[in-house]
Amino acid sequence: MTAMTTALPASLADITVFDPDTYANGDPTTFGLPLQQFDYLREHAPCYLQTFDDPLLVEQTWVVTRWEDINAIDRDPETWAANRGGVNIWKVTPLAPKHIADEIGFGKPAMLVMDGEDHRRNRRVVSRTFTPTMVRGLEERFRRYATSVVDDALAQDGPFNFIEVVAHAMPMEALGDVLGIPKEDRPKFFHWVDQFASPYDPRVTKSFDQLLQAIMELLAYAPELAELRRTNPTDDVITKMVQAVDSESMSEDEIQGNVALLASGAAESTRTTLGHGMHELMRDGEQMAWLRERADDIPSTVVQEMVRIASPFTHLSRTATQDVELHGQQIREGDKVAMLFAAGNFDPEVFDEPRRFDLSRENNPHLSFGRGPHSCLGKHIAALEIKILLEELLQRTSEIKPAGPISYSRDNYSRGVYELPVTVTAA
Amino acid sequence: MKVIVDLDVCQAHGDCVVAAPEVFDLGEEDDVVTVLHPEPGDELRARVERAALDCPVTAIRIED
Repeated sequence: MTAMTTALPASLADITVFDPDTYANGDPTTFGLPLQQFDYLREHAPCYLQTFDDPLLVEQTWVVTRWEDINAIDRDPETWAANRGGVNIWKVTPLAPKHIADEIGFGKPAMLVMDGEDHRRNRRVVSRTFTPTMVRGLEERFRRYATSVVDDALAQDGPFNFIEVVAHAMPMEALGDVLGIPKEDRPKFFHWVDQFASPYDPRVTKSFDQLLQAIMELLAYAPELAELRRTNPTDDVITKMVQAVDSESMSEDEIQGNVALLASGAAESTRTTLGHGMHELMRDGEQMAWLRERADDIPSTVVQEMVRIASPFTHLSRTATQDVELHGQQIREGDKVAMLFAAGNFDPEVFDEPRRFDLSRENNPHLSFGRGPHSCLGKHIAALEIKILLEELLQRTSEIKPAGPISYSRDNYSRGVYELPVTVTAA
Repeated sequence: MKVIVDLDVCQAHGDCVVAAPEVFDLGEEDDVVTVLHPEPGDELRARVERAALDCPVTAIRIED
């Protein structure tokens, strides 16, 4: 493990915000994030050009780190398109706009890589399922899953990996239901998601071929699932998408892309938040005590603060549709721009004491869900899931303690936690 | 204060419902938001301003 540097960056040459090892070796006292590098960038190089020498990554991208700029870019799809490819800095993802997928022979279209009318058409098919009102109807079911997950945690004999037993397990059931994945298919489904969620972590993905395989298998499974829901409709998102295909407001390709998108968006991000959230709670006795006092009805500020510091995806990318000057930099039409959400989430212009983990934080316009038309479809579900899980967990335990150091995933996009050893004591 | 929503732009993200449930509603059958109180009392100003800021498609306008 390389020594963590605490030296302030002196220049752009010291910047490693897209190096998977920066996150693998993250400082557990700064949320695993290179906060000093973010501070430097926001202040000295709020729009800089990052180049890569990695066949898995794009050649270069502009990088934007101030909250104000990220917020503006995210909300301006006409200038900063999502439908010109490049979800993030990776070259290979399961999602690609149709014209690019046709060109490179890989990937399926999904909401996140669409704009305008196509985007609205796709989202409309499923947005009703994800509104706060509809989501509230899932509370009972989520509570059942949370109860069963906490049962498992309490049944552990000694230290266990919180990520595996709790953080991973909860979204698997919750999302499995929402998407309509048959119970027997859930383990393999989430195994695929794990693989392409952490392509740089050799503990998870052994090779690039394994990564591609996982993507192909997931994409191939989607039509199987669609067919199942065509003949056995249930009250879930896949059924809605199948019905949309039948009424011609969604294509078969789009179902595949959207399944991959919803799968990774939901599985990965929720467990990331739970992992980081639990780690920070255990580090901060005051916050833990404060939260335990409210364990019968956890305030919404709690989830949002956990999502802010977790910053489950470090960035998302857009493509400039015209020449733009930003902070003295000449961005050309066709250039990629990475919105570094993780950096914007600690912007002192917007957040009071940004480095403080404050579960009662009221003013919290964090960027983790995105703040434009592509704003996370699942954010209300994720919030409910996390709230209920934490309620059950805290009500039924008197203590949750670390049993070893946190181990962060080795990645430059997903902020997964690989291992969080804990012990719990029943209440 | 008056709350005005551009329904052509609304995409049912639901952030306004979370920020100000007294003023905004998104029913089960709805594709766009319903403004329950187009002229809410001043005690709801902070919440309505939060809703306007949070709306991902900038569909909410406040007029004084």
